[in-house]
Amino acid sequence: MRPTDLTRRAMLTGLSAAALVPAASLARSGTPSRGSEPPSPPGDAAIPAAPPHGPWPDDDELDPFDPGLFDPFTARVGGVDPSTITIDLPQMRYEGRWNPRAGAMRVLARELRLRTRLEPVLEPSEVPAGSAELFATPFLYVAGERELPPLGAPAEEALRRFIDLGGLILFDAADGGTDPGFVRDVKALLGRIAPASEVAPVGRDHVLYRSFYLIDAPMGRTRTHDHVLGIQDEGRLKALVMRNDLGGALAETNEGLPAYPCTPGGNVQREWAIRFGVNILLYATCTDYKADRAHVETLLRSRRWR
Amino acid sequence: MNERWSLAAGHVPETIVLVLLAVAVLMAVGEGLAAFRRPRAPVARRVAAGLLALRLAALGALLAVAFELTLRVEQVTPAGRRLVVLVDASASMALADAEQEGDEPQSRQARLEAAWQRSADARVGWRDDGLVVEVRGFDLGSRPYTGELAETLAVQPRGEGSDLARALGELSQPEPDRAPLAGVVVISDGLVAPDPAADAQVRAVAEGLGVPVTTLSAGAPHIRDVSVAQVRAGEFAFVENVVELEAEIVAHGLSGTATTVELRRNGLPVASQSLRLGADGVPSEVRFEVAPDRVGQFVYEIAVPPQPREATEANNTRAFVVKVLRDKVRVLHVAGRPDWDVRALRTLLRRDPNVELLSYYILRGLDDIAREDTTAALSLIPFPTDELFEEQLGSFDLIILHNFDSVLHQVEQYLDNIAQYVEDGGALVLIGGDLAFGDLGYALPELAALLPVDTRTRAPLEHEPFRPSLTEAGRRHPITAWLATADEGWAQLPALDDHNPLSTNPRGETIGAATLLSHPDDTDPRGRGRPILAVAEPGRGRTMVLSTGSTWRLGFAPDLPLIDGARPYDLLWLSAVRWLLRDDSSGRLTLETDKPRYRVGETVELQAKTWSAGYAPEPGIAVSWSLRPLAPGPDGQPAKALAEGQWTTDGLGRAREALQELPVGAYVASARRELAEGAVSADDADGLGEHEVRRVFIVEPPGRELAEVDADPGITRLAALAEATGGEALSAVDGDALPRRIPLTEPQADRDGLRVDARRDLPLWNGWVALLLLLATFGGEWLLRRRQGEP
Repeated sequence: MRPTDLTRRAMLTGLSAAALVPAASLARSGTPSRGSEPPSPPGDAAIPAAPPHGPWPDDDELDPFDPGLFDPFTARVGGVDPSTITIDLPQMRYEGRWNPRAGAMRVLARELRLRTRLEPVLEPSEVPAGSAELFATPFLYVAGERELPPLGAPAEEALRRFIDLGGLILFDAADGGTDPGFVRDVKALLGRIAPASEVAPVGRDHVLYRSFYLIDAPMGRTRTHDHVLGIQDEGRLKALVMRNDLGGALAETNEGLPAYPCTPGGNVQREWAIRFGVNILLYATCTDYKADRAHVETLLRSRRWR
Repeated sequence: MNERWSLAAGHVPETIVLVLLAVAVLMAVGEGLAAFRRPRAPVARRVAAGLLALRLAALGALLAVAFELTLRVEQVTPAGRRLVVLVDASASMALADAEQEGDEPQSRQARLEAAWQRSADARVGWRDDGLVVEVRGFDLGSRPYTGELAETLAVQPRGEGSDLARALGELSQPEPDRAPLAGVVVISDGLVAPDPAADAQVRAVAEGLGVPVTTLSAGAPHIRDVSVAQVRAGEFAFVENVVELEAEIVAHGLSGTATTVELRRNGLPVASQSLRLGADGVPSEVRFEVAPDRVGQFVYEIAVPPQPREATEANNTRAFVVKVLRDKVRVLHVAGRPDWDVRALRTLLRRDPNVELLSYYILRGLDDIAREDTTAALSLIPFPTDELFEEQLGSFDLIILHNFDSVLHQVEQYLDNIAQYVEDGGALVLIGGDLAFGDLGYALPELAALLPVDTRTRAPLEHEPFRPSLTEAGRRHPITAWLATADEGWAQLPALDDHNPLSTNPRGETIGAATLLSHPDDTDPRGRGRPILAVAEPGRGRTMVLSTGSTWRLGFAPDLPLIDGARPYDLLWLSAVRWLLRDDSSGRLTLETDKPRYRVGETVELQAKTWSAGYAPEPGIAVSWSLRPLAPGPDGQPAKALAEGQWTTDGLGRAREALQELPVGAYVASARRELAEGAVSADDADGLGEHEVRRVFIVEPPGRELAEVDADPGITRLAALAEATGGEALSAVDGDALPRRIPLTEPQADRDGLRVDARRDLPLWNGWVALLLLLATFGGEWLLRRRQGEP
């Protein structure tokens, strides 16, 4: 490695000399930096990679809850840099109660932006069952209540191809365990589109429970079930069936307040539900990254393994 | 010629019948004798004798019938005895050595011929004694010498081995029509057993013959030679892993001489070591440590330069084949942000069991950390930059920096290490995105000079779907050639989402840079399409830059076409990984041999396979092939082809050729195919490396004839052999000749000493004479007794 050359670095990055000082103090300090995450700067000062540029957004474009607004060095519009690669969290639309927890994915997208380096879109899309738009993103959120009506052969064929090509479907039962109808219909659907696979509990040792947060149970608005169901094939999860109403824990009113109370754990349970939602999306984008030997060994050494 | 008479029984009754018969005969004889001694009636002594004679004759006739006796008449002549002379015809007999240091050396073969001539009188004497003298030459097998050859023994000794045990063993086979073996003479340098086990076998076989073995040693104690006596190397090695190759160098008459031992690969030197040659017969160990830089099958040679007045140069080189395999490919995948492209590439790499994937994805930004809930239990681990980019860097075969902002994560300061890693043979992929090329994080001159694109200017991501154009270089490059064969090219494939508007490296020609895919509309200041996929081969490494992070679209689309049965995404990335890792199976033509090494006489099978651009078997392809020695000709040019021809691959893209009767040596087989676009120039072939492929192999002798040249152990071995079998040990270098009275087994007095020339059998029991004799004897005795008044 070459010695740290502050002058050259300043030329290459365009950073101000003032901004360089803390970064340089980090360089080659001999201790590992914060990992899978950038090195922690001293104090609370976040050092941007580039000076601000681009237009300042209009007031009506601003999200008062978006922390990006408080970052004076970014060129974010509504919290999202226009050049950023964003990911969508699409929700499937079908005949019936397809959206029992309106806005749940928007809240999850916001929490992902706040907590992780993922950059979900501000407004997740809605895609009709069976449309080609399904394939714009290899992730699909399917919510429902009481039942999942038949989608029709073309839509089922599209879903089959969706999971075969590598997509992940998250089914979310808004009943929270009180009505088995939706889960029953989901199992029947999965039996048709993935006949060779079995809907089975996802074990506690699955990487899903540690893809970002270390989690013990998949909580939602309820915690009726202590595990999620899923279809695992070819070393990956193709479908997840959440029976504790994840969307109910995420959904908010127009005022930004929780739309539904979480029982029995209240807001603590809601936080766990959000964390599980974060983990699902980290699994969707990184697959079993956290099952790599390097990660497992490090976690074991630090006794954070559960 | 004499006649020999004997009786032969045609039938032997069962035991009980034999016992009854014996009892009856004894009783009859006893009663006849008793009657003869004390006749009950006064009969004349003459008559009594007649009665006893008739009784005995009757019993004899009865036994003749019971045993179906035959009279055998044989005409026999004395068989004589056989003396076999085994003459060594192996290559070591051509070596020249001397009795005294400084004497003019003489070849062992010349010494052998001279001793044979000195023994001419003895040979005449052997024949006079009735000995049948049979002369046979031996090396790996044995064969008779007749006529002039048996008189002079003048042959050119070049056998690839000295299998005396086999030659002696052949003499132990029963040969009823030949004279019995009475003695053996072995004329050799005694280098007939490479190890103690073989030595014991020779002696055991000789002792098993049961005849004296007289030995005439043709070797002399002083020889001048250096040889690669032994090589220790595994048949397999792993690329970039250090492998040890050891050799024993044995010298005679060259003690203290300084020399150089060279290691060659496919004829080209790769390492050398200085060596001072040891005392006579004392092996000097030489050890090479090499790390093969690419996979494939290679002929390695360990060679010592010829010394002045050396007995032979044939043992100064020893070749062996090492097949270099790829260990698990170690891939470092670093991503600046999780997204669908990261997911797709990780899934693909994880699916390959030959890939050991080490991933580090940045899951949180600085702002996320600022908002961190310090009580939340996270599974995050440190990003060990020092460990990855300084300590472990060389252990990776491939490094992928996937939409990674190197400055923010302090990797920018390791870029010089990464540049050195590439120059040393590593493979590097940079994938674009919103983080990758916007902060000049790859502008360090040492690294920028190795990339096919110009990273010294900012190239923030532009979101505008597009379908890349396949360039002319892309049509022929193994990473993208499959697109050229697809019906509609990229038109049938999904559009990509975005790209970093990079420019090509202005000094790209110095590193073999090529743009394979370019933007259809966005051009650089020189009017050329912005590179989307570009590659380069700087130093010993390879680099690839993909200015978009949206190739995952090639694997996830509603109407995704399959090409050769595979997703376009898989084709693109598997081709890229194979090319980056210099996988020799990445070509459109592969050539294999069924084994890396053959014993002389074995059939060598060449197997070729042709592949489509999508790596599916491609039938009906014309492939020209040739076989030539690996060593260049005297003019330094490749040796003349020993065989060549043309194949057309079958329905599964296969072709094969069986090569027979190849002499000992190292060979290179090559195959060449023409691409569908037309004839391939030599430049193209060199540039792509896929149109012509080579495979080396060696044909070995069954033993190492010239690995041991010093005659001293041979002289000792022959003397011990003679002593163990009762023979005589002679030495040609002392002027000995074979003696007139050579040790032989004593002639046997039994019939084995006679040879049967004719045989006649006369049955005594089944004719009318036998019946008449039976009636006459039994009836005569009865009548005579009646006339004498006996019952």
